[in-house]
Amino acid sequence: MKLLTHNMLTSHVKGVVKGYPLLIKATEVKMNEVEFNPQFVSRMIPKLEWSALVQAAEELGHREDLPGELMAEYEKDEEFLKKVHRVLLEVEVIEGCLQCPESGREFPITRGIPNMLLNEDEV
Amino acid sequence: MIKTFNTMSEPSSKESLIRYYCTAGNGMERFLIDEVKKKLSAKDVCQVSGKVLFSSSVKISRVVELKAAERLFLLLKQDSAVHLSAHISPAKAAAVLQSRLLGDRNQWTCALMTWNCLQGELSNRQSTTNTTNPAFVGESEEVRGNEGQTEKEKPNVDTMRNKGVQKEEENRSLRSGELNEKQTLEKRDMENKGVEEVREEESQWKEEKNDEQYFTETMKKKRKRDEHDNDVGEEEKEEGNAQESCSEESVKKKMTSNRQRVTAEEEQRGVPVDNSSFKNNDEPAVILGIKFNNRDHNKDFPVQKKTYGGSDETPLQSSKPQSPTVPVSFRISCKCTGSLSRYFSSQEVSKVIGVGLSRLMGWKVDLKNPQLEVNVHLSDDQCLLGIPLTRLPLANRCYIKTTGLRSTVAWAMASLAQIQPGFCVVDPMCGVGTILVEAAQEHKTACFLGMDIDDGQLKKANENVEFSELGNRIHLLKASSMALPLPSASVDAIVCDLPFGKKFGTKTNMAANLPLILTEMERVLHVGGSLVLLLSPQLSCLLKKFLAQKETGPMPSRGTKPATRIQVSPSPSPSSTKQQTFQIDQQANSPPIQETGPQCGPMHSLPLSSLTHQATLRVNLGLIDGLILKYVKMET
Repeated sequence: MKLLTHNMLTSHVKGVVKGYPLLIKATEVKMNEVEFNPQFVSRMIPKLEWSALVQAAEELGHREDLPGELMAEYEKDEEFLKKVHRVLLEVEVIEGCLQCPESGREFPITRGIPNMLLNEDEV
Repeated sequence: MIKTFNTMSEPSSKESLIRYYCTAGNGMERFLIDEVKKKLSAKDVCQVSGKVLFSSSVKISRVVELKAAERLFLLLKQDSAVHLSAHISPAKAAAVLQSRLLGDRNQWTCALMTWNCLQGELSNRQSTTNTTNPAFVGESEEVRGNEGQTEKEKPNVDTMRNKGVQKEEENRSLRSGELNEKQTLEKRDMENKGVEEVREEESQWKEEKNDEQYFTETMKKKRKRDEHDNDVGEEEKEEGNAQESCSEESVKKKMTSNRQRVTAEEEQRGVPVDNSSFKNNDEPAVILGIKFNNRDHNKDFPVQKKTYGGSDETPLQSSKPQSPTVPVSFRISCKCTGSLSRYFSSQEVSKVIGVGLSRLMGWKVDLKNPQLEVNVHLSDDQCLLGIPLTRLPLANRCYIKTTGLRSTVAWAMASLAQIQPGFCVVDPMCGVGTILVEAAQEHKTACFLGMDIDDGQLKKANENVEFSELGNRIHLLKASSMALPLPSASVDAIVCDLPFGKKFGTKTNMAANLPLILTEMERVLHVGGSLVLLLSPQLSCLLKKFLAQKETGPMPSRGTKPATRIQVSPSPSPSSTKQQTFQIDQQANSPPIQETGPQCGPMHSLPLSSLTHQATLRVNLGLIDGLILKYVKMET
């Protein structure tokens, strides 16, 4: 699971109001080298919940001195885009789980794929 | 009208306008028309049953990257239909056919030159050199002689795509064999049902293979094939409807086709095998023939032009594995429908034209290993002659490892979703991820999220994503389409091939779950976001009924509208094929239906009332048709 995916996911357990962002409990994290596409990264940044990304990166120890607040004209700062690229796409949680901040429900991550399926009584 | 080609221009010239045609699956024509106009600045684009004709001066390397097409041909001739009078003698009829279809020598010489030129450009594209340096020509031929083994290792997707066709050949993996098998089986199924029209109205991608009748192909051989196919018949039927699923059966089947492929390849290398039970024989063989010789024609053709034909042939290079004694070898693959088929079978027409062409040009008929294949399609509407430009259909993608949904249809769905830069696109039932891969290939700055509840499917999807090197844009997770783990209004577009119920539980399950699935889709979409669904006609009926209920509840005066919007003929059966095809033609000739559904009227806030119907398009999925429905979420 890449942090870009994490940034979009919410806990959807019955009764949970916000369920975002999910906490990451990683047991195995991998760094993959991914081709840098500055257009892609700068297009994605406005879609992101920035604070959730920074928090997730922090949890995994890959914050890369990303600022807590998104600065203006970031699309012109290639160094910045590269950092975001690394955090968004190169950090990958292989094993571990995601935890709902409200209900505490854990969603396992196996072989890089988070399992967000709910039991029948949770829907 | 006899088309003239700008073939006399220099072979290296990229500016000359070349007339092509592509075959397309039923319902795919409009997508292909849009695509050739947009990507190839095509001129004189026109559509005839299952084919799109166009002229373009764009490099062939870009033409072969068309996504909505099945196969690509160089147009030899497009003419009005041949009509034979009722009491004509067979000999006379043959003479009429020959004179109408063959035309003059010059036409064929020109077409061959153009074809050689295009083949040259295609193979140049594959080798790293981009000039016609003879030294490299010889070298690349040798590479091809080994079936390009040396190029297999290239990891970069772009390189793979640039190499296009050639790469596909090298990578000719399970799926091509699988596809052939599937097609043959589909044909067999239809024949078993004894519906003669079905054959004529088969989707175009099947046409090219199924109806190719090589004139010495005996019925015995065919029967043997069918027998062979029967072994895997039952599983195949299930498989044939483009469901994205895999089971033990299909794994078994893959192994079977793999074995066949190996045998077919062995055969090419001269290992004697009993070819009667393998269906892949002819095709790979053709290609080798084409590949070995075309460079020489290309290189020599300024000199050749005048003396072409007869036994004066291209001096063949010594490095060439092909026998140097043959001039141009060819075979005719004919499909003959309509009134003409009452006089002649496809085989007979092939024979007549083959003999005629051989006499006219001095070319040699070679059914097994020809350099050139000439496709002839005679119908009540017209005659169409063309030469295939690639061995494998364009629809066989070199970047997809496991095929699920038909690639062209997947691409069409993505194109309907009108994906923009920065979009977040979700497929909540992604299967092996075909739609996502097709969409992500096309849109480099959008992000794609695929979900499925099945581990096996996700595993294959993951392999596809890795194989196509789209891991940065396509992300996968395990989740149910009835409880999407996404915030409301967070998604820009949803594309989804809803399982038709053959593999994934029963239809009733899917039908029962449909409202909930749609509600979730509607929830996560932004206002203005598009929803593109592929459904069976039955499910589509249900969906529309379901939406109509929602509409007619508070607005009874709209009662008549939903009926007109349902263009679905319920449950297609073989006997109704004719009617369906008629319907398809009608749809194909009209622009995409741009209806605003009645649900945009004043409405209380029913969950689905925000989904506005935009288009319904029928596409052929093999054995059955599917309907692509497009909705847009409006403000409520």
